[in-house]
Amino acid sequence: MEIIVFYLFAAIAVIAALGVVGLRNPVYAALCLAVVFVSFAGLYVLLSAPFIAVAQVMIYAGAILILFVFVIMLLSPPVDQGEGALKWQKPLALGFVGALAVQLVLVLALAVLPSARGSLTPEVIAQRGDVQVVGAALFSDYLLPFEMTSLLLLVAIVGVIVLAKKR
Amino acid sequence: MPDATTLYLILPEITLAVFGMVILAVDLIWRERSRAALAWLTVLGFVIALATALLGWGWNMALFAQMYVVDTFAIFFKLLAAIAGILVTLVSLDYLRDRTPYRGEFLALFTFAVLAMMMMASSASLLMIYLSIEFLSYMSYLLTGFLREDKKSNEAAIKYFLYGAITSALMLYGLSLLYGISGSLNFADITATFAARNDVPTRIVALVSTALVIAGLGFKISLVPFHQWAPDTYEGAPTPVTAFLSVGPKAVGFAVLLRVLLTALPAFKNEWIALLTVISVLTMTLGNLVALRQKNVKRLLAYSSIAQAGYILIGLVSVNLNGASPFSGLNGVLIYLFAYLFTNLGAFTCVIAIENATGAVEIDDYKGLVKRAPFIAALFVIFFLSLAGIPPTAGFIGKFFVFGAALREGFLVLAAIGVINSVISVFYYFSVVRAAFFEAGKDTAPIRLAPPITFSLVVSAALVLVMAVYPEPFFNLAAWSMGMFGVAK
Amino acid sequence: MTVHHFIILSAILFSIGAVGVLLRRNPLIMFMSIELMLNAVNLAFVGFSRFLQLVDGQVFVFLILTVAAAEVAVGLAIIVAIFRARDSVDVDEVSDLKG
Repeated sequence: MEIIVFYLFAAIAVIAALGVVGLRNPVYAALCLAVVFVSFAGLYVLLSAPFIAVAQVMIYAGAILILFVFVIMLLSPPVDQGEGALKWQKPLALGFVGALAVQLVLVLALAVLPSARGSLTPEVIAQRGDVQVVGAALFSDYLLPFEMTSLLLLVAIVGVIVLAKKR
Repeated sequence: MPDATTLYLILPEITLAVFGMVILAVDLIWRERSRAALAWLTVLGFVIALATALLGWGWNMALFAQMYVVDTFAIFFKLLAAIAGILVTLVSLDYLRDRTPYRGEFLALFTFAVLAMMMMASSASLLMIYLSIEFLSYMSYLLTGFLREDKKSNEAAIKYFLYGAITSALMLYGLSLLYGISGSLNFADITATFAARNDVPTRIVALVSTALVIAGLGFKISLVPFHQWAPDTYEGAPTPVTAFLSVGPKAVGFAVLLRVLLTALPAFKNEWIALLTVISVLTMTLGNLVALRQKNVKRLLAYSSIAQAGYILIGLVSVNLNGASPFSGLNGVLIYLFAYLFTNLGAFTCVIAIENATGAVEIDDYKGLVKRAPFIAALFVIFFLSLAGIPPTAGFIGKFFVFGAALREGFLVLAAIGVINSVISVFYYFSVVRAAFFEAGKDTAPIRLAPPITFSLVVSAALVLVMAVYPEPFFNLAAWSMGMFGVAK
Repeated sequence: MTVHHFIILSAILFSIGAVGVLLRRNPLIMFMSIELMLNAVNLAFVGFSRFLQLVDGQVFVFLILTVAAAEVAVGLAIIVAIFRARDSVDVDEVSDLKG
């Protein structure tokens, strides 16, 4: 049963990703990106990470994507007319990345990954709640990165305002 | 939870974080009044950070669940960061005065950039590496594009940004694979995993990760083929930012690279030595050959910086921590970075001084400089001698130790290519000197120097010469700094 | 459902993002492709975290989420600044510097 859900979300994600990369109109591409984000949220739920799933929707689909759409609307960039002078690069790049992707997939399929190292089974997560699990880690072992990230956000905001505010 | 010792050891970082926020607050309160005072406040912050960093000398502790290491290696790089901060701040205020009203924010962003550098030096976990690199990167992008009406500054920033975002995504993918294979984010655990498992799929995934991590860090260090952002970014960014980019991220990029390769991935030493050797040759050669054709001083120095990264890489490739030889490779890298810091900052300060006075950045505009600003012209000679590696300069000492290490490890061809490239570099460095000394310029008004710039130049030049004449303390500094990995290995 | 399902999906999506970065000229679309790549990495991290039964991957992803938001803000600010200084956002047209 889970497998079917996985393949469903995976298929949606891949098709939407192709849309992001291939569509000419930036607004359509942004909407496809939204679909990608939401399907990822579904995958995270499958992976017993409901907190991350909700954070994904809130931050990515809710904030980042809105920001993208704002800027697209503000700039009204013209719809991409297609790449004139670089026609031969397209198949080359596609072929190159395709070959790399195939190799990567093969290697990953064969890799023997370590089995459970810790004790955080899905049952434990369901019982304690993902929020509690992640929160506990964030405020004990991972305190330094957490504080650093908050500092980063502050200074990024300052910089962004300097760069983007009206005269 | 942090205890007293932990807080003591992270005082430099706390200092910079506090000073950064104080600068923002003071700028808000004082508004138009004395921006110069803000610059001195910033310098004060760096000086205190430098002093508190020295407090940790001799400790070797892993803090915060093994993810943040304070050892002499880290402290060495924090010292470099603080010094770079001081020197760049001194020369930046004049430059920014007529170009942007946001000087307070500039100083604050810059302080946080130096903070990020210090955190990179101490990172010992995949998470910390990523966060601190991103922190430094975002500050750098913002600083590069800071002159928001200047088209060149914008363009430099977008190219830097796109390139950086792509390589950091690549690096992150490599980090995820390392996590998957080893089950942990900490370097010590990762080393243990690879020591225990040697099957082919694991090796392949590990090598892919290594290559991706080298890609991400190679971008910061401007190694070929991850260097393509550098010439445009260096040319378009405000020159003090260019000066900073050419030494700061490069130095701590090397610090992280050293730490990752030597404490997390020593199992793949042969592979990454091979890869880095090729990269080193490409970097030196491409940097030097393209520099020959440059007419713009900032671009010339950009390609020069790219090539310099190639030389430093030779030291990394020749790392051998066994035995009591003075040429441990690691030694060479640290000494070279120290020498390079002052040399390159000095060279860029000269460029800034001229640009402040005349707005000129083309070599043609440097003609007759010896008559207009003999002090700067003389200093150009000193700094370029150092960059080319000609005695008696700090650059020569750096190259001596790097090439010496290569010879010790048997990398004769590599050392030879390094020497040949150094010779080639003399040609383009001296194209600037020739224009300054031997050709007549159109303008003959003398160029005045602001006191902070003079001070900064004197300090840099003095260190470049002193290091060559009396190198003992610097050797010891580098030797002590090799007391790293006392924690993770 | 094993970890392999997820990391192979992650690799596929990462590659699609990489293709987008290489082939598109518009900085906004390039940026969206980069976000795609980052999401693929997030998927890998959460997948590993689940099957290793550890929390580190989830914590890492949470912080990546946050940092990515800051990155988007910075990137879009730069793009807006470019647009204000000149009227187009085509990467090929942005080439005053010699490249």
